[in-house]
Amino acid sequence: MNAHTPMTAPLLTVRGLKKHFGGVKALDGVDLQIRPGEVHALVGENGAGKSTLIKVLTGLHFPTDGEITFQGAGFVPGQPQWSKEAGIQVVHQEFNLLEHLSIAENISIEALPKTRWGFLDKAEMRARAVQALDLVGLGGISTQRPISSLGIAHKQLVEIARALQTDSNLLILDEPTATLTEREKDNLFQIVAQAKARGVSVLFVSHHLDEVFAHCDRVTVFRNGRTVTTEDIAKTSPEAVVAHMVGRHVDHTARETRAHDLGAVVLSTQNLISSANTTGHGVSVEVRAGEILGIAGLVGAGRTEFLRAIFAADTPAGGTVQMDGAAVSFHGPRDAIDAGIGFVTEDRKLEGLILEMSIAANTSMVNLKSLFPKGWMAARTEADQAATYGRKFGLKYGKTGDAAASLSGGNQQKVVLSKWLANSPRVLLLDEPTRGVDVGAKFEIYKILRELAAEGVAMIIVSSELPELMALSDQIAVMSNHQIAGTLERDSFAEEAILKFAYGQAQ
Amino acid sequence: MKFTKFIAAAATSVSLLATAAYADADHPKVGLVMKSLANEFFQNMMVGAEAHAEKRGDYELLAVGMQNETDFESQINAVNTFITQGVDAIVIAPADSRAMVRPLKRAMEAGITVVNFDVALDADAKKQQGVELAFVGPDNRQGAKMAGDALAAALGEGGKVVIIEGNPGADNATQRRLGFEDSVAEHGLNLLDSRTAYWETEEANTVFANMLTANPDIQGVMAANDSMAIGVVQALEAAGRDDILVVGFDNVPAAKALVGEGKLLATIDQFGSEMAANAIDLAIDVVRGGPELEGWVRTPIDLVTQ
Amino acid sequence: MQTATNLAPDAPDLKSNRLTLRYVLQHAGIGLALLILVIFFSIASEHFLTAGNITNILTQITINLILAVGMTFVILIGGIDLSVGSVLAFAGVVAGKVITLSGFSDGTLITMAVLAGLGTGVICGLMNGLISAWWGLPSFIITLGMLNIARGAALHVADARTIYSFPFSFEEFGSIMIFGVPILFLLALALVAVAWVVLNFTVFGRMVYGIGNNEEAVRLAGHNVMFYKVGAFAICGACAGLAALAYMARLNISSPIAGIAFELDAIAAVIIGGTSLAGGRGSVLGTLMGAFIIGVLANGLILMGLNDFMRQMITGLVIIVAVIVDYYRARFSTT
Repeated sequence: MNAHTPMTAPLLTVRGLKKHFGGVKALDGVDLQIRPGEVHALVGENGAGKSTLIKVLTGLHFPTDGEITFQGAGFVPGQPQWSKEAGIQVVHQEFNLLEHLSIAENISIEALPKTRWGFLDKAEMRARAVQALDLVGLGGISTQRPISSLGIAHKQLVEIARALQTDSNLLILDEPTATLTEREKDNLFQIVAQAKARGVSVLFVSHHLDEVFAHCDRVTVFRNGRTVTTEDIAKTSPEAVVAHMVGRHVDHTARETRAHDLGAVVLSTQNLISSANTTGHGVSVEVRAGEILGIAGLVGAGRTEFLRAIFAADTPAGGTVQMDGAAVSFHGPRDAIDAGIGFVTEDRKLEGLILEMSIAANTSMVNLKSLFPKGWMAARTEADQAATYGRKFGLKYGKTGDAAASLSGGNQQKVVLSKWLANSPRVLLLDEPTRGVDVGAKFEIYKILRELAAEGVAMIIVSSELPELMALSDQIAVMSNHQIAGTLERDSFAEEAILKFAYGQAQ
Repeated sequence: MKFTKFIAAAATSVSLLATAAYADADHPKVGLVMKSLANEFFQNMMVGAEAHAEKRGDYELLAVGMQNETDFESQINAVNTFITQGVDAIVIAPADSRAMVRPLKRAMEAGITVVNFDVALDADAKKQQGVELAFVGPDNRQGAKMAGDALAAALGEGGKVVIIEGNPGADNATQRRLGFEDSVAEHGLNLLDSRTAYWETEEANTVFANMLTANPDIQGVMAANDSMAIGVVQALEAAGRDDILVVGFDNVPAAKALVGEGKLLATIDQFGSEMAANAIDLAIDVVRGGPELEGWVRTPIDLVTQ
Repeated sequence: MQTATNLAPDAPDLKSNRLTLRYVLQHAGIGLALLILVIFFSIASEHFLTAGNITNILTQITINLILAVGMTFVILIGGIDLSVGSVLAFAGVVAGKVITLSGFSDGTLITMAVLAGLGTGVICGLMNGLISAWWGLPSFIITLGMLNIARGAALHVADARTIYSFPFSFEEFGSIMIFGVPILFLLALALVAVAWVVLNFTVFGRMVYGIGNNEEAVRLAGHNVMFYKVGAFAICGACAGLAALAYMARLNISSPIAGIAFELDAIAAVIIGGTSLAGGRGSVLGTLMGAFIIGVLANGLILMGLNDFMRQMITGLVIIVAVIVDYYRARFSTT
């Protein structure tokens, strides 16, 4: 029907695709068209629906509504196997490799070759592996090595090799560069270019607009489960794409001038070495009352581990923590909490909330003992506390007795904030506070954090979203390889500067 | 459970090591293989055997007990260890009347005198394996009949009775049930129900209380051991029934006390504490050149009443 | 904003979370099953629904109910205690040894025996809890070890013999009835009530559920996870000690071979009662229902005159069916 489309008919057409989880509309009617042999970027904020679309295309989720045409025919995904047979291959953010099996076994795992007698055909398996590894420039490596012996970049290349070995028509790369060094990235994009040259289409999902603009042909922007636009890279700009991604909320990430003055230093670390840090050098930072210290860095730079070391969630390997200028020694989270520290963890579902328990119970999880010093609980008191915070944070919920699992990601995060604030902390550590949170709730959380700062709470925020860090922080420390690679003051915040420090020691 | 077996095996080997000694014609070594020492009856038997060995002083006793009543695997291990150690005689209360035939045959082929007591090895299994082996022990069936007869005499013809059986599949449980049934048939009793309580007090208490509800007109109870008879007596007290008579088996101290109080009509003493000692005496006689044992060497049983 | 709509539902919330329709519905599945069993047996046997038989059933479920209450705590926290049957025997013979001492008044002996029985149970439970929590080892293995240790200790202390001849007043106590209800059952029922209050209205109970659901979240919220885990095992041990005392009061003996495989009935009661083996979800009221189902089944099948082997098969089947039913109930109630 699309007579104006240049070149040939599209490889993949998605029209009006919807995927609802209960009341949550992860995809609310997205359109996407991928041409044969193009590298197509898919961008959008967290929660915009990128991952959901990938999961639908690869058969992990069954769509609620909409139609998909693949290679000119209707395509109904439903089983991962069907998508693979159609030639849709995906390399996920999290690796799907079997750690204790060899490279060769992992590459052939979906269809293990058999001999005439039904035994495993190891020679064939090795041959396939060598061929697949050649595609990703890993020709020299032994196919017999177990996956667990490989570094993270090599693991990803094995994943890509596995995806490319079969005659794939569409290769989906989900945030492929998050953990790679510059050289590894160059290698990756070379592989992408080769695949493109062979006529393979690539759907490239990324947060990094520089990569998108350097290596992709077209870009589609998702926002809140809908397609905003699809543009030729040559005809658009990063600024325009960001504007599409953020939509009407663009002003919220703008830096606001801090109206309050900073107090004395509340918390500082001296050469604090987290348990995962084997470099022997620790981290020294300080944060004042009312100040927000942002911590940037790549995945694996040791940011989460640093926060856990302050909170004594893991016992630090060395260094000290000071509160109000005096050294403190925490033997576990209880001590840190007693000293006035709160910790909003990265993984809300595994560490932050007890999903099956009520909103009220989650809200009182930290201050339960001070709320009920005699050990007897009063449901009324607990419900009142939850309602108070619900009101304060604009929580969208039914009853405080409902399970936390019934809330959307953003509202769950508000409950996590509530439970820490109920304990009136002086210092709040936040690890990726808006991960998996929809855009609207994200800005509400920013507002809460700014208010807390105005009230004099000192905060350390770890985030991988640079606009977020730059909007919130008074100062940004960039971590690389478990150390501070550089510190930026508010008037010198810039993405390039931060990235330069982040990659500084990785090269 | 594998883990339990492992512990049992470990315990077996340790106790064997501790008592290992050297062979001596005038001072024969006798290996005693017991059933579960958690059972009061076998515990008494073991204590009796140890006292006997000390008293006689002319033989060496190597004794092994099991974790539970049905743990024949540990018994097989014990027999094999005794063969390796070169004992002169093995005296065994088999945990399984079929499974133990083969290892005992090996012991006999190794020239060891084997005496089977307490529970008889299965006749068919013996024939199949070509083993000729005498049995030294009480007649459980006859003992049960004696208890049943005592109950029948008190109730008269047509008396309504129930049987509380031991572990299903256990040979002595079967023999005792048959003995009770013999008595029922001979005296024209009316058998209302017959159920297992797995030799256990609490289970017998529960099972009997329910049987009594279903059959409130029960007049007499035949319990295949005293532990279960105790549970039955408690159920009767709880139900406020003092018109029902109970007989047991084994004459354990707690039951003997109940007999004294008149709460238990009768129980059977098979002189368990002497049973192993008697079997050892017989084994030593054979080792010293006496005639081979044949058939069924019956040991005494006695009816205990008030 | 929608603050108005947010606030309004909070007023009845206090109750809607605990006592009202939804709470009842969550337990309806298991209650319905019990009701069906009762109706079925009432039709199948004229003796079933008689005062005497109901008294019997109450007597017969008492020990399992006491053990199952303790087991509920341990399973809610995400553990399991395989040792309760053996600990019952051990606590029983210790209490039995104490209560048959000479030279004390009956009152003194009974008091000492109760303390000894409970104390033995608590100590075994503390060991289970401390060892598994301190080293982070699966309680399945640790309590399997305790199953053997306590059984061996019971046999050792009792010299493998049954202990009998308790003070008259103790023996009498076990047979007291209040309007046809055995006093031991009433005590077990009181235990259920206490456990229910503890689980629902105390910080301790909240932590038990919290740890069963998400131990790491509770730890990061600054709570002493080990304390609550050990506490749950100690409660389970105390219940085993209590069950031992009930056993002694009911049967007037204590036996080192008592309680073999009782742990299985206790676990079955908890699971049939809808408590998740994975921890974090369930209730002690469900456990009460579960204990009733097991007891009613054992009683009713005998009254029907079914033979022993059929009885065993049907009991097994009911356990499986109950858990399958619960699986669907749980799925429907969460989404």
